[in-house]
Formats: sequence, structure tokens, C-alpha cells
Amino acid sequence: MTVLILTCEEDVTADMVVVHLHDAGVPVVRLDPADLTVGVSLSGEFVHGRFRGHLSAGGRLVSLGGLRSVWVRRPGVPAQRAQHASAWLTEEASQALYGMLRGSHARWMNHPDAARRARHKPWQLRLAQQCGLPVPATVITTFPRAAREFAERYPDLVVKPVSGAHPQDPPRAVPTSRVAPDTDFSAVAFGPTLLQRRIAKRADVRLTVVGEELLAARKAAAPDADPQEVDVRFAAPGSPWEPVEVPPRTAETVLRYMRGAELAYGAFDFVEDADGVWWFLECNQSGQFGFVEVETGQPIARTIAEWLGRPVPEERREADEPDVRAC
Amino acid sequence: MQPFALNYARPAPELAVTTPYVYDSGLQLNVLVDGRVAASDHGLLREVGTTTSTAGSKTHFDD
Repeated sequence: MTVLILTCEEDVTADMVVVHLHDAGVPVVRLDPADLTVGVSLSGEFVHGRFRGHLSAGGRLVSLGGLRSVWVRRPGVPAQRAQHASAWLTEEASQALYGMLRGSHARWMNHPDAARRARHKPWQLRLAQQCGLPVPATVITTFPRAAREFAERYPDLVVKPVSGAHPQDPPRAVPTSRVAPDTDFSAVAFGPTLLQRRIAKRADVRLTVVGEELLAARKAAAPDADPQEVDVRFAAPGSPWEPVEVPPRTAETVLRYMRGAELAYGAFDFVEDADGVWWFLECNQSGQFGFVEVETGQPIARTIAEWLGRPVPEERREADEPDVRAC
Repeated sequence: MQPFALNYARPAPELAVTTPYVYDSGLQLNVLVDGRVAASDHGLLREVGTTTSTAGSKTHFDD
């Protein structure tokens, strides 16, 4: 049984997992959906009540029924590099590839439906609340008045993109940034704006969850850090990431979040306050982990490889041979 | 007037790192010019920064 990895060629972070799969003797097929029709091919037949599908890439051929797991890492846009690429062809290729994979009964990291839902930050915040994780007071609004009133209640605020994406025309970065108390909020009317009470942090925490395994790393805030730099991704390097134990209560609630989100993988961002409380900021359903493993030595890639390489239960193999009478 | 959050935008960081490895479709891994697997060289990964949490931001939501 094969592990299918959907990612781009330059994804060296995926390589860290492929190395472990190779060492374990687990067959791997790695492809980028962007290469569909130029280097990647697919075929599926729905005949006599049965489905048989195949994928081919790099001279490898794999049956969809022979997949034990699918890892959706950093896939390109389907058929983006096809000779006659178009939005229409991308939709055709996406429906064909992901539609057939959905019928494979392979385990997903993460299932596309769960992944799409899990990217919505407002949904993340609500799920985190429901699971019992501490969430900083937050407002997402297009009403300038609502923003002003929120700022009166919580004068120490940060602003961040709702989607987590950065504008590309022209390319700019929008880090989490502090908002001055006397800020003019009239521009809130021109786009949904996420304002959040700033947590005075003594550390950032990155908690990587793989199945039921939790691997947390902590980066202490430098005492002389610029108080305006609140986004660890854009701050000066400072302290290294170091492994840290997950408080039992946090572990329990994070696993509840993972089950609620139907995710097999998630990279949580927390900030730790002066009392040691971990405040939930977000859960990146395909967050980077290589930088944590490189700095801490935590076996994240190996843990992912073990999850992906788990044997397929017999009942699941049988499910790949569906009996039409079951419907 | 632009959306409020864009008042806090800054020029995108330069991510045009020249990576010293190329993809080997036989191995399904990126390899260095001397044939070693790039992912096994953590010092190199730290140096080129391609595994960090901003590396995927341009084309992917998930950091």
C-alpha cells in the first residue's frame, strides 16, 4: 500500500518525511497536481458497480485502491503547467483528481473538505472557544463604530488579516501589528478587519499535532524585544525554539479541537502570558514544521511518516471493493 | 481609501532564495550537487530558510 504525497517539487519540508518513509520501506508516490497532463496522468473507470482508478507520475503507477494515505502538503493548482492551461482546465483537473481520490478510502492528512473549513480563522476561533481553549477577545467587523467601541474596551489591540493571506498585487506582507489607541478606524468600512486584544507574551508556542501526538516548541520573548514587533514570523531571530511539555489541560482541549475539525495534522500558534496561560491564536491545518524540527530536533517528520505509513485496516481494504447492493 | 489592515502592510520579504538543491524524480527528493539528500542537512535548511513559517505564504494560506 502506497502513500500519495501531493506537493510541489521544491517542498524540501516534505522531503524530511519522504526520507523516513523510504527508510521504513513504505512505497511513496509524490506528485504535483500542477503537472497534470504534463508528467502526471490519471484514469478511473466506474464499470459494473466497481471503481478502478490509477495515477501515474515520474514513471510510477499506483492504483487508487492501493493507497494507504494521502498527504496534501503544498500542492500546486491542478493543471497549472498544462500546455493549454486555463481556469476551466484547472476545474476539470481538480474535479477529476480530488473527486477520484475521495473515493479511494485512503486516510487523509488532511481531507480537503476539513482543510477548507479549517482555514477560516473565525471558525477556528469559535471552535477553540467551544473546546475550552483561551481565546483573546476578538472582533471581525466592517463597522468603524464597532471597531472604535472595541478599542475603547480593549485599548491594547493588534490587527491581522482575517484569512492569513498576504496581498500579491503588489506583493506585500501584513504581519500582526499593534494598533495605536488614537487610531482612525474609518477604513474598517473598506474591508473586514480583525482586531484582537494583545496578549503581553513571555513566549510564543508552536504546537504541532500529528494524529494523537503532540509536539510543542517554545520561543521565549527577548526581554529587550521591540514592543511593536508582535509577530514572531517577522521579528528578529532572538531566542531559539525549544521543546516544551504541553500542559495536560491544553493537550486535552487541543485534541478535542482536532477531532472537532476532523484534522489529522495541525500546527497551533499560542502565546504564553505572564501566568503561563497558552492563548490560542490559530491552527494552521498545513503549517510548516521543518523550522521547528531543525531547531529543536523534535521528530515531527518521523511522526508524520509513521502516521502516513500505518497499515490499512482490513475492513478499509474491503471497502475499496464496494458491493453495489449496499446502496 | 484602502482596507484598514493594509495600513499595516510592509514590502514582502525577499524570498527569492537560490536553493542549492534540485529535485530528483527518481528519489522523489531534493538533492545537493554532491548527491546528498538536502533534507538530511539541517544546517543547510536553517541557512536557506525554506522550511520556515513564512516560506509558503506567497502561494499558500497555511504557515
